[in-house]
Amino acid sequence: MSRILIVEDDDHIRSALRLMFEGEGFIVDDAPTGEVAMAMFNRMASDMAIVDIMLPGMSGFETCHALRSASDLPIVIVSARDDTADVVLGLESGADDYVTKPFVPEELLARVRAHLRRRPEKSTGAFKLGDLHVIPDEGVVRLADGAELHLTSTEFRLLTDLASNNGKPLSREDLLERVWGYDYFGDSRLVDVHIRRLRMKIEPDAANPIFLVTVRGTGYKLVI
Amino acid sequence: MRRRSLRLRLLVTFGLGAFLLSSLVATLTYVGVQRLLINNQQQSDLGQSYVNAALVRSTLYTSAPEITDLLNSIQNASSSNVLVRTHGEWLARSTSASTYDVSATTIGIVNDGKATEQTLRVNGRIIFVVGVPIPSAETQFFEVFQLSNLEHTLRLLLMALIFGALATSLLGLSGGLWVARRTVRPLMEVSTAAALIADGALTTRLLVNKADREVQQLTESFNQMVSQLVQRLERDARFASDVSHELRSPLTTLATTASVLQQHRDDLSLAGRESLDLLLADLSIFQSLVEDLLEMARSDGGVPPVMETMPVIELARQSVRSAARRHGLDEPPVEVANGVGDPLVRVDRRRFERVITNLVDNAHRYAGGAVALRIDVAGNVVEVNVDDAGAGVPIEESEQVFERFFRGLAAHDRGIARGTGLGLALVRDHVRAFGGTITVSRSPDGGARFQILLPLVESEAS
Repeated sequence: MSRILIVEDDDHIRSALRLMFEGEGFIVDDAPTGEVAMAMFNRMASDMAIVDIMLPGMSGFETCHALRSASDLPIVIVSARDDTADVVLGLESGADDYVTKPFVPEELLARVRAHLRRRPEKSTGAFKLGDLHVIPDEGVVRLADGAELHLTSTEFRLLTDLASNNGKPLSREDLLERVWGYDYFGDSRLVDVHIRRLRMKIEPDAANPIFLVTVRGTGYKLVI
Repeated sequence: MRRRSLRLRLLVTFGLGAFLLSSLVATLTYVGVQRLLINNQQQSDLGQSYVNAALVRSTLYTSAPEITDLLNSIQNASSSNVLVRTHGEWLARSTSASTYDVSATTIGIVNDGKATEQTLRVNGRIIFVVGVPIPSAETQFFEVFQLSNLEHTLRLLLMALIFGALATSLLGLSGGLWVARRTVRPLMEVSTAAALIADGALTTRLLVNKADREVQQLTESFNQMVSQLVQRLERDARFASDVSHELRSPLTTLATTASVLQQHRDDLSLAGRESLDLLLADLSIFQSLVEDLLEMARSDGGVPPVMETMPVIELARQSVRSAARRHGLDEPPVEVANGVGDPLVRVDRRRFERVITNLVDNAHRYAGGAVALRIDVAGNVVEVNVDDAGAGVPIEESEQVFERFFRGLAAHDRGIARGTGLGLALVRDHVRAFGGTITVSRSPDGGARFQILLPLVESEAS
């Protein structure tokens, strides 16, 4: 049974979400503010979080950031607007995915399930990216000195999926399907922001990537 | 009445006015001067004639045979022709004198013992005939003056006046040109600005012209009008946006609780289940409507598109794919015309996807689905055609279909799932934001063709 943390200041929406997720068999913790959510999160291990961006006090972005610092759990943000700036800022603060209000409840459920279903892909063996050693079996990336480079599960999945395609490019839609588990409602910004975040971590110079390369008109490929 | 250009009208008025006025002045001047000069000349000629008549009389008394010599000497002295008539016969005349110059009327009057004078025009020349009776010798004296000197002066005067009139007319014409330009320019500026504003350049304002009070007033009140209009538009857009934003939270609760009810569907009675189905169906329309309104408020509210240079074929393929998936439809093929390479366009990726999604959705809803998305390049324009399998859009609806909440004949047809009425309006807003146009016509297959024209980007601007 999965445990889900819902951070939403609107009482009605929060109650409705709790009812819906409980009806689908989840254990639900709900919090009206980021502060309460963090206190709850520290007491119990959630598998998943849904965070509203517009929160009183500690903002949704800050809550995402705090959750991400503490854990790799998948975070879906609920954005009031799907302005690029808001979405990108939310993803940059550590969220894996987003939905905009008013969202279709089934869509939110589908996304949550897709994130929970996701397990590290083991279709590819260990490989090296410059000084980095990627070991999919262990789900870790090690630096030259053996220390672990921290990637979120979404970032790790993105990296290994690109690696398993043997240097051939994958389109944004392919990546959405493989990494996020969408078969509809794709948003290429999700891919772009995660690629950027991944580059910051694995590329010697993120502005001039040598491993994670953009293929214009197609998508991205990994040069091993 | 045919409408003429104000500029032309001012020009003609000024030019014609100056011409008529100067012609009038010239004519009056000419007539006045002519009369004055002729009168003066006639006065002096008349005095001369009486003196000459006295000379002739005394010569007739004293030495009649020398009369011809006397007449010739008079002719030489005053360059006039002199004739003398006695007892109804011409007695004598100076060398170049002609009896034709003296009319029978003049002779008759002088015969009756009265002095007379007469101005005649003979063969275009002015002659002045003076007749003086010399009753004591039953003789009549006639002197014929040529006003040729005067004619020369008058001709010069006439030429000077015509030249003056022409110069004045030209001056009037150029004055008219200046006034026309000065009057029409602010009007042209207003009309250009109004056209720009109508095209959506709402920041357009007129430069306040301080030279003319009336023009200043015009520009100021025009600018004020535009500012108030813009304020009003912004207020309306904000209102629509605010309303849509306020609807989001209750709508989210409604949709979520409806899905909770759906989870407990089996616990409901038949009536409860039917009501739930109606509720879910309308909630979905409500949701799409609010989404479209929010999208529209964003483009109305001036959230600028995120423009990127992209290969249109790949973008169209991806958009068609995601559109088809979103609605669970068959993916229409993307057909690229022969010889079209890999053209680039500058668009907002998300909004472009939205455009294609809405067109595919529209085709599915009202026209039996999209047959194909066809791409071609004509000159420096990229054509993206979405062709459907319907009956085509009636010509009288070809503009209206892009209006907000317009429902055409197709939408009133039996059993068609209701749309939001905003889909095509959003399409047009987005395409315009990319600097393109969209029109609807007939596709080669007979259905409707929604044609998007986008400027071709020559090479990637990094």
